[in-house]
Amino acid sequence: MSESDLGRKWDRCLADAVVKIGTGFGLGVVFSLTFFKRRMWPLAFGSGMGLGMAYSNCQHDFQSPYLLHGKYVKEQEQ
Amino acid sequence: MVARVWSLMRFLIKGSLAGGAVYLVYDQDLLGPSDKSEAALRRAEEAVPPAVYQFSQYVCRQTGLQLPQLPAPPKIHFPIRESWNSGIIKVMSALSAAPSKAQEYSKEGWEFVKERTK
Repeated sequence: MSESDLGRKWDRCLADAVVKIGTGFGLGVVFSLTFFKRRMWPLAFGSGMGLGMAYSNCQHDFQSPYLLHGKYVKEQEQ
Repeated sequence: MVARVWSLMRFLIKGSLAGGAVYLVYDQDLLGPSDKSEAALRRAEEAVPPAVYQFSQYVCRQTGLQLPQLPAPPKIHFPIRESWNSGIIKVMSALSAAPSKAQEYSKEGWEFVKERTK
Protein backbone atom coordinates (compact mmCIF):
# COMPACT_ATOMS: atom_id res chain seq x y z
CA MET A 1 0.00 0.00 0.00
CA SER A 2 1.56 3.32 -0.99
CA GLU A 3 1.72 6.35 1.25
CA SER A 4 -1.04 8.19 -0.62
CA ASP A 5 -3.34 5.14 -0.54
CA LEU A 6 -2.76 4.85 3.19
CA GLY A 7 -3.52 8.54 3.64
CA ARG A 8 -6.72 8.20 1.64
CA LYS A 9 -7.78 5.22 3.73
CA TRP A 10 -7.19 7.15 6.94
CA ASP A 11 -9.17 10.11 5.55
CA ARG A 12 -12.03 7.81 4.61
CA CYS A 13 -11.92 6.18 8.06
CA LEU A 14 -12.07 9.54 9.85
CA ALA A 15 -14.92 10.82 7.67
CA ASP A 16 -16.79 7.56 8.19
CA ALA A 17 -16.25 7.75 11.97
CA VAL A 18 -17.52 11.32 12.11
CA VAL A 19 -20.65 10.48 10.11
CA LYS A 20 -21.44 7.29 12.01
CA ILE A 21 -20.88 8.71 15.49
CA GLY A 22 -22.93 11.79 14.59
CA THR A 23 -25.72 9.66 13.15
CA GLY A 24 -25.77 7.40 16.19
CA PHE A 25 -25.78 10.40 18.48
CA GLY A 26 -28.60 12.02 16.50
CA LEU A 27 -30.72 8.89 16.56
CA GLY A 28 -30.00 8.57 20.27
CA VAL A 29 -31.21 12.13 20.81
CA VAL A 30 -34.41 11.49 18.85
CA PHE A 31 -35.20 8.29 20.71
CA SER A 32 -34.26 9.77 24.07
CA LEU A 33 -36.62 12.69 23.53
CA THR A 34 -39.49 10.66 22.11
CA PHE A 35 -39.60 7.38 23.97
CA PHE A 36 -37.11 7.30 26.82
CA LYS A 37 -37.97 10.35 28.88
CA ARG A 38 -34.78 12.33 28.15
CA ARG A 39 -32.44 9.76 29.65
CA MET A 40 -28.77 9.73 28.71
CA TRP A 41 -28.32 6.09 27.82
CA PRO A 42 -29.79 6.21 24.27
CA LEU A 43 -27.21 8.87 23.36
CA ALA A 44 -24.37 6.78 24.75
CA PHE A 45 -25.76 3.66 23.09
CA GLY A 46 -26.16 5.35 19.71
CA SER A 47 -22.72 6.95 19.78
CA GLY A 48 -21.17 3.66 20.86
CA MET A 49 -22.91 1.78 18.05
CA GLY A 50 -21.71 4.35 15.54
CA LEU A 51 -18.15 4.16 16.84
CA GLY A 52 -18.20 0.38 16.70
CA MET A 53 -19.51 0.35 13.13
CA ALA A 54 -16.89 2.87 12.04
CA TYR A 55 -14.12 0.83 13.71
CA SER A 56 -15.32 -2.32 12.02
CA ASN A 57 -15.41 -0.61 8.61
CA CYS A 58 -11.90 0.80 9.11
CA GLN A 59 -10.56 -2.58 10.16
CA HIS A 60 -12.07 -4.24 7.09
CA ASP A 61 -10.66 -1.48 4.88
CA PHE A 62 -7.12 -1.81 6.22
CA GLN A 63 -7.14 -5.59 6.21
CA SER A 64 -8.21 -5.88 2.57
CA PRO A 65 -5.59 -3.76 0.81
CA TYR A 66 -6.40 -4.99 -2.71
CA LEU A 67 -10.06 -4.01 -2.63
CA LEU A 68 -10.53 -0.94 -4.81
CA HIS A 69 -12.86 1.84 -3.72
CA GLY A 70 -15.01 3.76 -6.16
CA LYS A 71 -15.62 7.45 -5.91
CA TYR A 72 -18.98 9.18 -6.22
CA VAL A 73 -18.66 11.88 -8.88
CA LYS A 74 -21.31 14.50 -9.48
CA GLU A 75 -22.92 14.29 -12.91
CA GLN A 76 -21.84 17.14 -15.13
CA GLU A 77 -24.73 18.67 -16.99
CA GLN A 78 -23.97 18.99 -20.71
CA MET B 1 -61.94 9.25 26.00
CA VAL B 2 -60.24 12.54 25.07
CA ALA B 3 -57.20 11.64 27.18
CA ARG B 4 -56.91 8.30 25.39
CA VAL B 5 -57.17 9.95 21.97
CA TRP B 6 -54.61 12.53 23.03
CA SER B 7 -52.15 9.92 24.26
CA LEU B 8 -52.64 7.97 21.03
CA MET B 9 -52.00 11.13 19.00
CA ARG B 10 -48.84 11.80 21.05
CA PHE B 11 -47.64 8.27 20.47
CA LEU B 12 -48.29 8.57 16.74
CA ILE B 13 -46.46 11.90 16.52
CA LYS B 14 -43.46 10.56 18.45
CA GLY B 15 -43.50 7.35 16.43
CA SER B 16 -43.57 9.26 13.15
CA LEU B 17 -40.67 11.49 14.27
CA ALA B 18 -38.56 8.52 15.29
CA GLY B 19 -39.57 6.56 12.21
CA GLY B 20 -38.78 9.52 9.99
CA ALA B 21 -35.32 9.83 11.52
CA VAL B 22 -34.65 6.13 11.01
CA TYR B 23 -35.92 6.32 7.41
CA LEU B 24 -33.70 9.34 6.72
CA VAL B 25 -30.67 7.45 7.99
CA TYR B 26 -31.60 4.42 5.86
CA ASP B 27 -32.31 6.52 2.77
CA GLN B 28 -29.05 8.46 2.95
CA ASP B 29 -27.07 5.28 3.72
CA LEU B 30 -25.39 6.97 6.67
CA LEU B 31 -24.75 3.72 8.51
CA GLY B 32 -23.60 1.81 5.46
CA PRO B 33 -20.19 1.34 3.85
CA SER B 34 -17.54 3.99 4.31
CA ASP B 35 -17.78 5.19 0.68
CA LYS B 36 -21.43 6.11 1.04
CA SER B 37 -20.95 7.92 4.36
CA GLU B 38 -17.96 9.80 2.90
CA ALA B 39 -20.17 10.84 -0.05
CA ALA B 40 -22.90 11.94 2.38
CA LEU B 41 -20.35 14.05 4.29
CA ARG B 42 -19.22 15.71 1.03
CA ARG B 43 -22.85 16.45 0.12
CA ALA B 44 -23.42 17.98 3.55
CA GLU B 45 -20.22 20.06 3.26
CA GLU B 46 -21.44 21.43 -0.05
CA ALA B 47 -25.01 22.05 1.06
CA VAL B 48 -24.69 23.44 4.59
CA PRO B 49 -22.71 26.71 4.14
CA PRO B 50 -24.96 28.12 1.37
CA ALA B 51 -28.03 27.09 3.37
CA VAL B 52 -26.68 28.82 6.51
CA TYR B 53 -25.83 31.90 4.45
CA GLN B 54 -29.31 32.04 2.89
CA PHE B 55 -30.93 31.59 6.28
CA SER B 56 -28.86 34.44 7.74
CA GLN B 57 -29.80 36.64 4.76
CA TYR B 58 -33.48 35.78 5.31
CA VAL B 59 -33.20 36.63 9.03
CA CYS B 60 -31.49 39.93 8.17
CA ARG B 61 -34.23 40.80 5.69
CA GLN B 62 -37.01 39.94 8.13
CA THR B 63 -35.55 41.71 11.15
CA GLY B 64 -33.78 44.55 9.38
CA LEU B 65 -30.46 43.72 11.09
CA GLN B 66 -27.27 44.28 9.15
CA LEU B 67 -24.57 41.72 9.75
CA PRO B 68 -21.07 43.22 9.57
CA GLN B 69 -18.89 41.88 6.81
CA LEU B 70 -16.19 39.92 8.54
CA PRO B 71 -12.83 39.59 6.76
CA ALA B 72 -12.10 36.17 5.32
CA PRO B 73 -10.33 33.84 7.79
CA PRO B 74 -6.64 33.31 7.05
CA LYS B 75 -5.83 30.08 5.27
CA ILE B 76 -3.40 28.28 7.51
CA HIS B 77 -1.30 25.82 5.58
CA PHE B 78 0.61 23.83 8.14
CA PRO B 79 1.82 20.54 6.69
CA ILE B 80 1.49 18.31 9.75
CA ARG B 81 2.43 15.19 7.83
CA GLU B 82 5.70 16.63 6.49
CA SER B 83 6.79 18.11 9.82
CA TRP B 84 5.87 14.90 11.66
CA ASN B 85 7.72 12.77 9.12
CA SER B 86 10.81 14.98 9.17
CA GLY B 87 10.74 14.99 12.98
CA ILE B 88 10.62 11.18 13.07
CA ILE B 89 13.47 10.96 10.54
CA LYS B 90 15.62 13.39 12.55
CA VAL B 91 15.00 11.56 15.83
CA MET B 92 15.77 8.17 14.30
CA SER B 93 18.95 9.36 12.58
CA ALA B 94 20.10 11.00 15.84
CA LEU B 95 19.43 7.75 17.71
CA SER B 96 21.29 5.68 15.13
CA ALA B 97 24.28 8.05 15.21
CA ALA B 98 24.24 8.35 19.01
CA PRO B 99 26.64 5.46 19.88
CA SER B 100 29.34 6.55 17.44
CA LYS B 101 28.95 10.20 18.46
CA ALA B 102 29.14 9.26 22.13
CA GLN B 103 32.31 7.27 21.44
CA GLU B 104 33.83 10.18 19.55
CA TYR B 105 32.97 12.73 22.24
CA SER B 106 34.21 10.53 25.06
CA LYS B 107 37.49 9.99 23.16
CA GLU B 108 37.89 13.74 22.67
CA GLY B 109 37.08 14.35 26.33
CA TRP B 110 39.63 11.77 27.38
CA GLU B 111 42.30 13.36 25.15
CA PHE B 112 41.45 16.77 26.60
CA VAL B 113 41.79 15.49 30.16
CA LYS B 114 45.09 13.78 29.31
CA GLU B 115 46.42 17.03 27.82
CA ARG B 116 45.47 18.93 30.93
CA THR B 117 47.00 16.49 33.37
CA LYS B 118 50.38 16.30 31.55
